[in-house]
Amino acid sequence: MTALPVEGFLVLSGGLLAIGIFGLLTRRNFILILIAVEIAMNATILNFVYFAAFAPTAAGLSGQAIAVVLIGFAATEVAVGLAIVLALNRIQGTINVAQATELKE
Amino acid sequence: MSLEELAFLALAVVALATAVAALLVRELVHTILWVSVFFVDLSAIYFLLEAPFLGVLQLGVYAGAVTILLLFGIMVTRKRIFSRDAATGLGPIPLALAAVTFIFLIASVGEFPNSPTPLQTYAPALLSAQLFGPNGPWLLLLGLIMLSGVAGAIYLVREGRE
Repeated sequence: MTALPVEGFLVLSGGLLAIGIFGLLTRRNFILILIAVEIAMNATILNFVYFAAFAPTAAGLSGQAIAVVLIGFAATEVAVGLAIVLALNRIQGTINVAQATELKE
Repeated sequence: MSLEELAFLALAVVALATAVAALLVRELVHTILWVSVFFVDLSAIYFLLEAPFLGVLQLGVYAGAVTILLLFGIMVTRKRIFSRDAATGLGPIPLALAAVTFIFLIASVGEFPNSPTPLQTYAPALLSAQLFGPNGPWLLLLGLIMLSGVAGAIYLVREGRE
């Protein structure tokens, strides 16, 4: 039986979300934007896992179950994001989102 | 301070440092390396939280599949994979917005009980019972979204679409 500080986890996940938002707003490379979204999403998943770990009954495992689903969503999002990266690169010749104006060929 | 708390503090510092490093280094490939360390670090935190199934899933899906997918994305979109066009400046407004988000999140947290709550340990079998029982609709939704996501990705990358 161990105990971990709740404040520490909240600061960690809040900090990760802030870093993700910062990356989302400042980066221009599509792959870096994807990474920033992943960092922000991991902050959310961390909260689900943390609060599930302290539930007194097994029903608290719902938090972990939702975390599993969220990890699946994140993987799908990266796959679709990379498909957009490849399409952008083929059509526009760059993956800089500031220059990307359309996905049509 | 217990050993677990020390381990958590070390892992938290590494997580924040690698997340910042991933977004600030100039080489895109170095970004992927930092972000893979970040994913492995989070998986260690899950193991610390007695969630071994999620720890393994994080290692397999994030540190494994997502990292390789991102590397693949870099490989096919540039002639030389080491190139220094990744990072741009810090930007005072996004920095301020991120700081405001962080302060708002921390300030909006209410009071917590002072007594430390013991960590619960569950067998992974119980997690699967939760996943396929009460949370079954979410899993079904995940399957549908993954299917449509793959279909959309194939549509986006296929040659000669009109």
